[in-house]
Amino acid sequence: MIISQETMDVDFVRKVEALSDTSVRRCFQCGKCSAGCPMATFMEHPPNRVVRLLQLGQWRRIIEGRSIWYCASCETCSTRCPNKVHLASIMDALRKLSWDADGPSKESYVQLANKLFLQNIRTYGRQYEMRLAAVFNVKSGQFLKDLMLGPKLLAKGKLKMFHSKNKNLSEIEKIFSRIEEMRKNGKAL
Amino acid sequence: MTNDLKYSYYPGCSLHASAGEYDLSTRELFKHLGIGLTEIPDWFCCGATPAHNVDELLSLSLCAKNLELADSIEGDVAVACAACFSRLKTAQHILGENDVKRKQVETALDAPLKLDGNVKHLLEILAKDLGLERLAASVNKPLTGLKVACYYGCLLTRPTDVPNLDCAEAPTIMEKIIEAVGAETVPWTHRLECCGANFTLSRPGVVIQLTNAILDAAKAAGADCIMVGCPLCHGNLDIRQKEIEKVYSTSYDLPVFYLTQLVGLSVGLSPENLGLGAMIVSPFPLLTEKKLMETSLLDSQVSLPGIR
Repeated sequence: MIISQETMDVDFVRKVEALSDTSVRRCFQCGKCSAGCPMATFMEHPPNRVVRLLQLGQWRRIIEGRSIWYCASCETCSTRCPNKVHLASIMDALRKLSWDADGPSKESYVQLANKLFLQNIRTYGRQYEMRLAAVFNVKSGQFLKDLMLGPKLLAKGKLKMFHSKNKNLSEIEKIFSRIEEMRKNGKAL
Repeated sequence: MTNDLKYSYYPGCSLHASAGEYDLSTRELFKHLGIGLTEIPDWFCCGATPAHNVDELLSLSLCAKNLELADSIEGDVAVACAACFSRLKTAQHILGENDVKRKQVETALDAPLKLDGNVKHLLEILAKDLGLERLAASVNKPLTGLKVACYYGCLLTRPTDVPNLDCAEAPTIMEKIIEAVGAETVPWTHRLECCGANFTLSRPGVVIQLTNAILDAAKAAGADCIMVGCPLCHGNLDIRQKEIEKVYSTSYDLPVFYLTQLVGLSVGLSPENLGLGAMIVSPFPLLTEKKLMETSLLDSQVSLPGIR
């Protein structure tokens, strides 16, 4: 894809700015964010380039790749930015918009883990680690992943078969449905 | 010891499962120090990283709901997990500044927000509320000769304006606490580097690479052990340590303690009550070598069951 007027979409960038409550225009490309980013080596577009592409309205390039899914949300970039560009929040906004659009990302494992995590919260109110790991392995087809850790963790009491139940579950369902409702009515992004 | 410190307690999901020893040692230590902890009834998951990663509104709503639940209990909110701590503080920060998001969260909860609870990580409670002097006064088995690498990870101090626990780039709160109970600390390079956190489920290869660098740096600095205040960091540094050693054909053998376990030892709590048996990298050879535990206890301690 070449960078051109045709591939420029400023509306999308406005959405990113609204969601992240930060301005991409403040960035002057010093590169401090990428220098400190522990995940930059795993990304095809390091953090400063993500911002540059946003400045140019070229967001498709970003969400087609894996960079946003490889951000660890460690907040180093936001902490060090001399211009107070909250890059970690920009990453959140990009992931959300890509997620909503069922984005054509190359990174499926991270998305699967996120999806299962959120489903668990909606169903149980809390995170049940063992269930999360087991379902992740089945759904990602990696049946043997971390299998050797299982017995060790069980013996140490670190994997719980049974959890204290949350008696407030209807509350959590209401929160999820109210948010869905708001989005349906265009009252939230 | 008596004092008037009372908190509502938000353990978070990990402390009810893989980090059971953090929960146990926190409760035991606070009981010993006379600090009141009341678990928030029917708390929810804070949403952790996955929620804010793809749905900030959900993340803010979950945190606001938890703060509302905490509001019914007297005292500030005590949080053990660095990730929960960061999420709750971030929600307070964002909802305090952004009226649009605040209104959306009010609609999601269908109630006015109660966000005023003062959210505190255990480190703050020990170092500031209880105070280093009172902490030092309660020590009866100082951790003399133990060289500790204090590991902060990402979320205890970053970003600058949110957690307000300590300086974002050069914090000292962990070092101050552990020195107050008699241990030595080592200066080292990776105190604030990321361990890969929640990639442990989706991309363990990432975690192995990042965590290896942390273990390597702690070892190179001459540390006997690492101290953490986050169950995700602990999971990566402790549970994956053997695997990392195999991948990099090396040996670290660095026990990874929760801050409450080390402080607990110094005030004389027993290994059982601190859940030391649940650690994957056994701390017992180190503790007997440093004479912080009776040698005669070694055999029985090694076979200590984990947490129940």
